[in-house]
Amino acid sequence: MSEPTDITPFFADKQEFVAEVLSRYPDEGRRSAIMPLLWEVQRTELYVSDSRVREIAEIVDTTATEVKGVLSFYSTYHEQPVGKFHVQICSTLSCALAGADEMYDFLVEELGIVHGETSADGHFSLQKVECVGSCGTAPVLQVNDTYYERVGRGRCQHLLDALRQGEMPAPWRERGGDTEGAEKPAALDHTAAPGDRRGEG
Amino acid sequence: MSDQPTEGAKPAPIVSRHDPRYEVTMYRYVGVDGAHKLDFYRSHGGYEAARKALTEMTPAQVIDEVKASGLRGRGGAGFPTGVKWSFMAPPDGKPRYLVCNADESEPGSFKDRYIMEDDPHQLIEGMIIAAYAMHATSSFLYVRGEYYLGYERTLAAIEEAREAGFLGENILGTDFSFDIVMHRGAGAYICGEETALMNSLEGLRATPRLKPPFPAAAGMYGRPTTINNVTTLTSVVHIINKGAAWFESMGTDDSKGTKLYQISGPVKRTGVYEMPMGASFRELIYDFAGGPTMEPKAFIPGGSSTPMFPWEDRFLDMPMDYGTLAKNGSMLGTGGVIVIPREKCIVNALYNVVRFYSHESCGKCTPCREGVGHWLPRMYQKLLAGQGSLADVELLESVAGNIRGNAFCPLADACIMPVQASLKWFHEEYEYLATNGKSKYAKNDWWQA
Repeated sequence: MSEPTDITPFFADKQEFVAEVLSRYPDEGRRSAIMPLLWEVQRTELYVSDSRVREIAEIVDTTATEVKGVLSFYSTYHEQPVGKFHVQICSTLSCALAGADEMYDFLVEELGIVHGETSADGHFSLQKVECVGSCGTAPVLQVNDTYYERVGRGRCQHLLDALRQGEMPAPWRERGGDTEGAEKPAALDHTAAPGDRRGEG
Repeated sequence: MSDQPTEGAKPAPIVSRHDPRYEVTMYRYVGVDGAHKLDFYRSHGGYEAARKALTEMTPAQVIDEVKASGLRGRGGAGFPTGVKWSFMAPPDGKPRYLVCNADESEPGSFKDRYIMEDDPHQLIEGMIIAAYAMHATSSFLYVRGEYYLGYERTLAAIEEAREAGFLGENILGTDFSFDIVMHRGAGAYICGEETALMNSLEGLRATPRLKPPFPAAAGMYGRPTTINNVTTLTSVVHIINKGAAWFESMGTDDSKGTKLYQISGPVKRTGVYEMPMGASFRELIYDFAGGPTMEPKAFIPGGSSTPMFPWEDRFLDMPMDYGTLAKNGSMLGTGGVIVIPREKCIVNALYNVVRFYSHESCGKCTPCREGVGHWLPRMYQKLLAGQGSLADVELLESVAGNIRGNAFCPLADACIMPVQASLKWFHEEYEYLATNGKSKYAKNDWWQA
């Protein structure tokens, strides 16, 4: 893949940020800055191109191949551009038991793209991901950095409608378990200690 | 308390949350609006344990207290925490590190996430105490990349704590100085393995390291390092606050204190429940989670890597502690219980688990890369596509047996053990699928309104 050589450097005007990232690690640990620098690029550009890989390699005094090796190891870095809304569907067991496979089929149908693809207009991309740690509120969709939990059919349709309009709805935060005050079994009241959160908010 | 113990006799330990002596500690403020702020934390007794440790105790006394409490690592392996801390090489004036493993990735586990989102100061306080005990000079909090809200809130909490003098130079006026650097992962289950996590932190591909040397001798950047799970560290806060005897008064012979159990799958109230060690699966599943919403046939006791049990009284009534689970051929793991309904084809469920480990295999060693990464998922695909035979089931068992115990790190066994357990308890479902070309259970729509 050939890239134009006159790309504006990403970190040129971010020297202060780069210095701050490097300062988090000891001198012998300069390479530790690779992951935070990759995150910074991806946050702005939605993926990490080869030219950014070369820039990072230069900053941490290593080769582009080494940085590429790190980039390609981790599943949440992207080597190709993703959509404005990167829809990640958790497919692991607890989500599958709550309909993740059916939700995936629905999203494929609705968005016209499959796992790993980005829509032609760059609005949506779809990725099947492994457990994102929201098993108690399955099934879960992660759109960019935001979790949408207990996404039943209705919520999924509602979420898609909003995203199509270019809006990210506020997530309905749910935690289940001990924080589910309203459905708390009465038999457990005696376990509430003074100052305990139950019964508050 | 109605039944006061007789003079000299040790009171019976608390092994049920129904025990009136039991109180929620670690999970007390999760779910409370604003609990992630320093003001809230301090007005609810926050940082008093750190103050006590730093101003009234020596580092050795802190380690002794943690040892006496019986606390064992909450990440899954269950190694005694105080003992682990005592392995750190003596201070030599050079850097030494504490690393908090917040790369929570075991399917069925989601306890650390809510601590970081709703009560990050509790974790910071635990890190301060642990660092003091081990003379750590600095620390890294490695949080999985997906937990963005937890990252933001914990990062903000670290800044609040620094401004208030709980982090940085001369904490609480003592000569102890210490700080926390947050480092975001990027989606790699293998980082739960502590040496892989250190490689990741060092800007390498997250492959595990050969042990020895153990991290306590040569870890991060070759310096002494201890890696602890989030809720191991939050447990320490309460041990220091309330004393080792309080912690030790809960649980069973080999498992002390409270633990955050998680429950998912078809039950009425999924979520995280803090319970004393030794509470039974039945208490968690029925009394707290409200019972199954579909007819169950099995449950996974402690995260996807722990071998499942069939839905039988003898297993439901087992105390959730390290020893009992080990004795019964499984593990306590992270305490992430997953209920599997009858209508879910067990081969399909295990394919889901196998696919996860296949995706997460780091590629370092051959048994895992080839066996877990390629052979197992393909054999499951063949069976599920209706193209398998009984010989394939035998081959699956043989492949699993050849991988187990032969891989570089525990990831491969984490995949193999649940596969073998499913073959042990639900062999007839494999046979049915292999013989008939279709699953015994036909339900194919699990998505609710």
